[in-house]
Amino acid sequence: MTALGPVPAAATVPTERADWVSTLSLPGPERDRALRDLHELLVHAARGQVHRMGWTTGGGADVDELANQAADEALVALLGKLHTFEGRSRFTTWAYKFGVLHAANAVRSAAWRGREIQLDGLELLPDTAPHPGHYAEARDLVEVVRRLLGTVLTPHQRRVVVALVVDEVPIDVLAERLGTNRNALYKTLHDARVRIRTALVAEGLLEASTGGAR
Amino acid sequence: MSPRPLGPREIEQLTLDTEPWLSCDDCFALVDEYVEALLAGDLTAAPAMRAHLRGCPACAEEAATLVVLTAEDTGQDPHPALTLLER
Repeated sequence: MTALGPVPAAATVPTERADWVSTLSLPGPERDRALRDLHELLVHAARGQVHRMGWTTGGGADVDELANQAADEALVALLGKLHTFEGRSRFTTWAYKFGVLHAANAVRSAAWRGREIQLDGLELLPDTAPHPGHYAEARDLVEVVRRLLGTVLTPHQRRVVVALVVDEVPIDVLAERLGTNRNALYKTLHDARVRIRTALVAEGLLEASTGGAR
Repeated sequence: MSPRPLGPREIEQLTLDTEPWLSCDDCFALVDEYVEALLAGDLTAAPAMRAHLRGCPACAEEAATLVVLTAEDTGQDPHPALTLLER
């Protein structure tokens, strides 16, 4: 999905509170107020993420509903991690990331709901469309990488790599479908990249420790 | 299922150097500090974070929103940090 610029301005997001952690840690009316403020802050973050992903409505969930659900989940996750906040960033920046993560996952999940993810029949064709810089070496590289996908990767690595990179399935959507998590899939992708790069270096098509081949 | 095209974008993504290794969980743990460092113009921040954000579109998408939200709070222009994020 594409970033769409600034997030909508919140009416009043209660970012100015010097003692978030201690207030949230002690039961009482002050904690209840802090929780309401924190939830408002997480809704703001979630709305920002939903907006930047270009989500308007779909799958039965509108923006407010989706942002509020994401904020609810984010609040639970944040409170479970409150003891890990060490003040290395502003509390609000630290808190926002929970709202952003849960909103992003919710949008990706809603956008892919009901869509099939094909994990078999992994035939890949070189892209023959003309593009700037299209030259023989690039075509050769595409052909070599296509071959390497079938020879140096395990079947699991190949399925994951094709789904994530070629079909552009969001990583948390794929994780949900496969019953795993984002961490495990990213590790699979990372290991597959290492195998492909190692083979390309061995074939003299890539220098070690560079960015991606183009 | 028809064959999928394999073009320059896919080749670049498939051959990215994403060392030093960093997991998505570690990225999440560090991203708030990283974003504030980017907003402060710190170009020396965490090579492992840079490598991870190049190789993980989901984490990069979320980090970009965090830049915008934090810049909004601090009254900063997010664009320089967003440019650093995309390097």
